[in-house]
Amino acid sequence: MLRYIIRRLIWLVFVLVVITAITYSIFFLLPGGGTDTIAQRFAGRAPRPELVQEVKIQMGLDKPIYMQFFSFTKNLFFGDQYGWPGFGKSFTLRLPMKPILLERTLVTLQLALGAAVMWLCIGIPIGVLSALRPRSLFDRFAMIFALVGISIPVFVLGAIGLYALVYKTHLLPGTGYYSIFEYGFQPWFSHFLLPWFVLSLLYAAFYARLSRANLLEVMGEDYMRTARSKGLTERRVIVHHGLRASMTPLVTVFGLDLAGLMAGAIITERIFNIPGIGDLAIKSIGSQDVYAILDVTLVAAFIITFANLVVDIVYAFLDPRVRYE
Amino acid sequence: MGFVKRRTIVALASVVVLALVAAACGGSSTSGASSSSGGAPIKGGTIREELQEFGWTSGFDPTGEYLGTAWSLYDQMIMRGLMTYNHRGGDEGGNIPVPDIATGPPTVSADELTYEFELKTGVMFGPPVYREVTSADILYSFARINTASLSALYGNYYCGTITGMTCDKDKVDTNIEGIETPDATHITFHLDQPTGDFLYRLAMPATKAIPEEVAKCFTKAGDYGPYLISSSAYMFMGSEDLDITSCDTMEPISGYDVQKGMTLVRNPNYDPATDSTEIREANIDGLQQAINTNYDDIFQRLLDGQIDVAAGTPPKGVLLKFETDPQYANWLHADPGDRTWYITMNLFAAPFDDVHVRRAVNLAFNKEGVRKAYGGEKRGDIATSVEPPTVLPQSVDINPYPANTGEGNNDAAMEEMKQSRYDLNKDGICNDGGACDNILFLGRNIDPWPEMDQVAMASLGTILPGLTLREVDTTTGYTTLQQMKKLVPISSVPGWGKDYASPFGFDYYIFHSDGIYSCTGSSNYSLVGLGKDLADSCGIGAEYDAYVQNNGDVPSIDAKMAECVAKPADEVNPCFAELDTYLMETAVPWVPWVWANNWTSVNPTVSTYVFDQFGNTISYINSAVNNGLAPENVA
Amino acid sequence: MSQVQAAPPEVDTLVPVDAIGRVEGRSPWQLFWMRFKRDHVALGAGVVVGILVFFALVAPLLVTLFVHRGPNALDQNLTSDIGIPILGPSKTAWFGVDGIGRDVFVRTMYGARTSLLVSFIGTGLSLVIGIALGLLAGFRGGKVDTFISRTIDIVLSLPLLLMAIGLSVACGASIDGCAGGLIKSGVPLVIFIIALFGWPYVARIVRGQTLSLREREFVEAARATGFGTWYIMLREIFPNMLASIIVVATLLIPQNILFEAALSYLSVGIPPDTPSWGGMINDATEGSLYFVAWWMLVFPAGFLVITTLSFNLLGDGLRDALDPRAGR
Repeated sequence: MLRYIIRRLIWLVFVLVVITAITYSIFFLLPGGGTDTIAQRFAGRAPRPELVQEVKIQMGLDKPIYMQFFSFTKNLFFGDQYGWPGFGKSFTLRLPMKPILLERTLVTLQLALGAAVMWLCIGIPIGVLSALRPRSLFDRFAMIFALVGISIPVFVLGAIGLYALVYKTHLLPGTGYYSIFEYGFQPWFSHFLLPWFVLSLLYAAFYARLSRANLLEVMGEDYMRTARSKGLTERRVIVHHGLRASMTPLVTVFGLDLAGLMAGAIITERIFNIPGIGDLAIKSIGSQDVYAILDVTLVAAFIITFANLVVDIVYAFLDPRVRYE
Repeated sequence: MGFVKRRTIVALASVVVLALVAAACGGSSTSGASSSSGGAPIKGGTIREELQEFGWTSGFDPTGEYLGTAWSLYDQMIMRGLMTYNHRGGDEGGNIPVPDIATGPPTVSADELTYEFELKTGVMFGPPVYREVTSADILYSFARINTASLSALYGNYYCGTITGMTCDKDKVDTNIEGIETPDATHITFHLDQPTGDFLYRLAMPATKAIPEEVAKCFTKAGDYGPYLISSSAYMFMGSEDLDITSCDTMEPISGYDVQKGMTLVRNPNYDPATDSTEIREANIDGLQQAINTNYDDIFQRLLDGQIDVAAGTPPKGVLLKFETDPQYANWLHADPGDRTWYITMNLFAAPFDDVHVRRAVNLAFNKEGVRKAYGGEKRGDIATSVEPPTVLPQSVDINPYPANTGEGNNDAAMEEMKQSRYDLNKDGICNDGGACDNILFLGRNIDPWPEMDQVAMASLGTILPGLTLREVDTTTGYTTLQQMKKLVPISSVPGWGKDYASPFGFDYYIFHSDGIYSCTGSSNYSLVGLGKDLADSCGIGAEYDAYVQNNGDVPSIDAKMAECVAKPADEVNPCFAELDTYLMETAVPWVPWVWANNWTSVNPTVSTYVFDQFGNTISYINSAVNNGLAPENVA
Repeated sequence: MSQVQAAPPEVDTLVPVDAIGRVEGRSPWQLFWMRFKRDHVALGAGVVVGILVFFALVAPLLVTLFVHRGPNALDQNLTSDIGIPILGPSKTAWFGVDGIGRDVFVRTMYGARTSLLVSFIGTGLSLVIGIALGLLAGFRGGKVDTFISRTIDIVLSLPLLLMAIGLSVACGASIDGCAGGLIKSGVPLVIFIIALFGWPYVARIVRGQTLSLREREFVEAARATGFGTWYIMLREIFPNMLASIIVVATLLIPQNILFEAALSYLSVGIPPDTPSWGGMINDATEGSLYFVAWWMLVFPAGFLVITTLSFNLLGDGLRDALDPRAGR
């Protein structure tokens, strides 16, 4: 087991290095990038060659690409003058990246976790109840809801939500992030409510369908019939055997979904002005703030890969066959 | 960076004459530069402003910072130098430098190579530097400009002009050959050649007083910003807590956070007796600029009275309110921005290497339509020449294409196109089968450019059916335009505003051959005055030769500009008027379409609104607000 | 708690019988079609999809015949002095006009072209690449499999939207585009991005199927007879996984429609001069314009949702018809 975990950790490190290389390639080797173009963006509107050169030196862009990549990776794993991991400095803000990343990751975490709680509480009960009453009116409506839920993009739902709940009726206060520590529970909650809902609808719909399908399949299995024939009440049959069996695959999917959400809530953060890492990603890509882009990409990739790792370890724990592959 | 001779008359006197001429002829299109609810301005209160981001180019470090909004803050509120502006509208002399720490105009030698200033006493730095500003502090600023690692983005106004300044020193060195500080209240500049607008350059923020004991700790570009020490009426809130005993003990001043905002409070050491209320009324107790990433929310809060000032284009719904609802009639101030929006054409990119095509574009272009898509009449006057009238008053009379009354005149354009060699069958449409196909029109992809670009394309679609639109983000647009080899034929991406308001200052970078710095860096996108050597080394030698073969010499204003700058003061502007006429009629690198206004939306809590023509923002220093808030108490 | 019904065992009433009641054989495809025909909802979705495809194809013709205004034909007389649309749904413009007087109906129809084109071709490319690599990995095994599988893992670890934005900005920034001018910004770039990030999903499924199929008897027989790798892959293995591939395609197409819309919404997808639903929604929400011009949001958003919904319904129906055991 330990060997399996170590193997996966090594793979994690390898993936991060590869992703760094890919990101470097995109921003330096593709025609739109290149060190000259990037440096010139920061040299004012009269970019004389001396100024551009100075910017390159200060941003560390004057060395060959492979050396920049090497020193960035080294700093990342071993730390730099701002701490560990070495995330470098943002050139547009002139501030170390690490505190910024930490703060923003926490904000995105609040967004993702809140949405996750919401979609689990909405999606799974709907799915389970539908499975217990297949082809009933409830089932049909639930599946329509699920289908619509996976067909509406976040930016449409968000726009409608803002118009209906904020602009027209003033039921909700508006967009933005209000920290619970600075402003208290009510502003924090009321500003997160709509983003949580908008973000969770897609996943709630998906989980409703998934849990319904899983539970239906499990309920038809042989061991369920065995349990029933043993004389257990239906309720016990369902709760003890059915739910557990059908929810296990959901756990792994949930881990991956949550990770993916952390890395990808970009549009939601933009619509609702939530200063998370998705928002930082858009800003830094737009301003070609090199270290910010690299750092955000790595944080997001790390979250995804780490979640994969955890999920796989849980699986290996449950199913010993996997470890020996 | 070569500069040119200017004759006789004392610099300041000529500047004053320019001012009178400007004031007489300069106009602002819509609301006046200042408005007041009557009576003396209210004292006290805090102006609350919100913005999406500061967007500094250089971390708010005055040595390098190139953003106009930063210049407003420095010049009005935080820093004093030898010269300044009166922080009022252009019609009240807002674009004319006046003495600040200097007791009066300098003594200029007969050969115009030596400027001697006497400094006032009693001008104090704010906390925690409790001492008087001396000539050494001005010298220190120049030493910083001279240092390569501090990236003085407009350092070339000084390097190559002041003797001994080369902008490439590897450390801060106050030994500059051309600047003498015989004692604490005297400073003398020695120039390499006569420089008529030198006083304008001494009003720029990079030259203002900086205390060495604090700034010596910050030798990289942008680092000094969070530690900025005041020498003027206001300072960062919390400046007194800065521990300057050593470089390691210094923490960024609490009143400034690049991600959260800035609060300015009164500098307790400021002595109004060393200043003038003409220049700085200092009515407010404080200014707070808070970062709010939610643009719609900014204007909602303005409407609700939670903030007092918001700059920029209001969201459409709010704009509609301002335009139609009488309750909000005077909230939006549109003041001359000393800026021109234009379409740039590349002299060496076919088919724009034929002057008839460029003239035809000027005739066909629907300036009114583009302006409407941009936001309507309040955006500014339709431009007929390159410089805004606030910089060159004669511009209103320069209109070489009167057939285009604003909405574009296709008939006239087609007549012009018929004279071009790209119109083979003389039907008024570009159709030579090669250069007329797939002409790249580079636009911006951020609102409202996509709509403006569509209007532009529609108006040019008759004479140039081969135009193909590509839209990119703003910075990409600029960097693409600057790459000579790309030869972008025509683009709506750029705008140009003054650094300081002399016609020379406006035209120099964008039309002089010096404005083409390298193969990938330029402000002269049209490549007016490009030389053969540079063209060859950058890979467009063939296009250069083709141009010369078809049209003769490459149009250039280098010689004319030299001539204009050498003229006596009262002949300078008319000379530049001729230069601009040449540009519009003969060289035709641009289609200027609007002389842009600056939009500032203001809640009536701002009881007196004054516009700062230099920084092109609201004049915090001369406006007044009636909210009675103390800056410490603003949320 | 009362008795809860477990799902009763399905009697396949589709088992065909001939005139005297003997069971007739039917090929899997005939069975599929008979099951699909009975699913009215899926049929309805199929009809909607068909209508949308039709409109997408004939949009330019419709415009020339009936509306007489192209997608970029503007009329600034229909906007206020400050560039705000004042004409909503009316006789002149069925869906209203936008900020420079362009017809929203026409642009919505053209947007259908963009969305369908991009998602079909993008998904198609994902399928081609994914199938090829999945087959190769599953059949060949060994180092080839390891390399391809690891690549799949890495691509799936990339933060999708982030990399898409970055790639789009990098390639879109140069007017020449990437890959020597082949991938310019706009439709080609979005198709490229969809294909680039979509193939691992396909490859993974195909690989799994290949692994299980290659041990089957008919493959061994083919191998024994001496047929080569590619022949076996294409003739024996691939047809047997067609059902799974169709299922994957039905999942990917609506996802990609939404993906393209998201990219266009963020201004890194289809450039503004080509009508796209995501871009139109962006225009509407920019500066909250839709608060005063609701039609600019409702129509493109409505069409986007209806299109995605129809494809999802159709996909559900196809999946159910292909394998009735899986869930209904």
